[in-house]
Amino acid sequence: MAMKKFINDPDNLVNELLAGFVLAHANKVALAGNKLVVRTHPKAASKVAVVTLGGSGHEPALSGFVGEGMLDISVPGEIFAAPGPPRVFEALKLAHRDAGVLLVVLNHEGDVMTAGIAMEMAEKEGYKVKQVLTHDDISVPSRQDPRDRRGLVGCFPVIKVAGAAAEQGKSLDECLAIAERMERNMATLAVAVTGATHPSTGSVIAEVPEADMIVGMGQHGEAGGGQQPLKSADETAAIMIDALCNDLGAKAGDRLLVMINGVGSTTLMEQYLVLNGVKKALDAKGIVLARAIAGEFLTVQEMGGFQMFAAKMDDELLALWDAPCNTPALVVK
Amino acid sequence: MVTYERWVAMVRAAAGQVRASQDLLSNLDSHGGDGDHGTTMVRAMNCIEQAVEAEQSSSIPALLRAIGWAVMGVDGGATGPLFGTFFMSMSDAAPGDAALDARGLAAAFTAGLAGVQKRTRAQVGDKTMLDALVPAVEAAAAAADGGGSVEDVLRSAFEAARAGAERTSALQARFGRAKNIGEKSIGQPDAGATSVSLLFKGFLEGVRSHA
Repeated sequence: MAMKKFINDPDNLVNELLAGFVLAHANKVALAGNKLVVRTHPKAASKVAVVTLGGSGHEPALSGFVGEGMLDISVPGEIFAAPGPPRVFEALKLAHRDAGVLLVVLNHEGDVMTAGIAMEMAEKEGYKVKQVLTHDDISVPSRQDPRDRRGLVGCFPVIKVAGAAAEQGKSLDECLAIAERMERNMATLAVAVTGATHPSTGSVIAEVPEADMIVGMGQHGEAGGGQQPLKSADETAAIMIDALCNDLGAKAGDRLLVMINGVGSTTLMEQYLVLNGVKKALDAKGIVLARAIAGEFLTVQEMGGFQMFAAKMDDELLALWDAPCNTPALVVK
Repeated sequence: MVTYERWVAMVRAAAGQVRASQDLLSNLDSHGGDGDHGTTMVRAMNCIEQAVEAEQSSSIPALLRAIGWAVMGVDGGATGPLFGTFFMSMSDAAPGDAALDARGLAAAFTAGLAGVQKRTRAQVGDKTMLDALVPAVEAAAAAADGGGSVEDVLRSAFEAARAGAERTSALQARFGRAKNIGEKSIGQPDAGATSVSLLFKGFLEGVRSHA
């Protein structure tokens, strides 16, 4: 099927989407330097800065997390492709302060390499920078060796709690420890029902047979059973939350934050149905649904499906999740 | 000897080779990847040519560093850091401003490869650019050790890179996005390895044209 998207010049796509993005959220975000997304109202230089990087085409992620209570700067790359080290270094230079900078990196080859090179350069300049790597995708089985686990929507809660800690004036080491605790206690599983097209090349991303769904769009698809006939919202919710609880070792009495992240064409209606299914499945296990959220935070163009995220929360993580923020993607008052 | 001017001729010819194969590279990448490798590589080559134009010194290490940094700025996922690191690590190994002889050129390639291998866990056989780069650099070193000329070194490197890239057809991807399609990745060469082969083809052509 031919691609049906409202675009102009494929080579200028990122510039144009960023221009529109800051128009839509002018009171929160602005552009600086070489395509860096920054806050319209910068936070005090005495507080730790939180920075991230990643490919474009996943809107509102990642620049949608820039704003009070979350990120200070995001470095958007090309469509589905990480930015290069020069612009990430530029962001670290711009964010540089005595309090330090926390760099949130999603585990994908390009992102990790770019971050590593930019971090080395920043350290040579004497900047205080620490990195947290998110690898929440449980479709690759091993929690012991998470190097193959991709970073999915889990970057969002990590940015939320680390950003809240930074806003409260916590030190870089404290912010890092909070980010890492969130990271260790979270898991994400994706399900796809329809594919998508790359908006600048027209390439098909992930094809899913008409009557099927694919749970765990990773290398092997072990978690959640891989490709199977499309199931109901409740059945799908149960399959996925079971896999997530197993991975997290969640047991009765544990408190979970659960997020249903629509990735493109799956409706909010369906996301609410799935979330309701998650609640029923958790009730049956005696696990507490402490916080829940549904919506589009990290998308993959018009792909159909969603990412289900779950994390074991403690009092501090819950308080940081509940802390105020004012960003294009999330407002908490 | 590989003088500054010869380096310029080499990288310009490499840019020409990549540009002429843009559609091929994108088609290879659309099988498992997301079809943007050709575009990304051409953007990288444009960055290289701008860096070469802008470079005011006649220092080989400075030129290689400027090229590496320009390639890294391409914002194309792993492509920029990997190819950029190759040039920047060559720069670190190039001795001062002197022209390189065959051994010096092979040593620079070896340093470039070592830099790349520090950045990725991919190994030969994983269906990545390393399947062309590793044999190319090894063949260059062997040719230089055997007393070959600069042109011998580059011819050996290109032939090994081309053969390495062709061998990736039979391999299943274990790295990058293409690993997600598993066995379906078998049957076509890897786009990154093909790019490496084109770079070395250009290097050889550049040296021959600027004897």
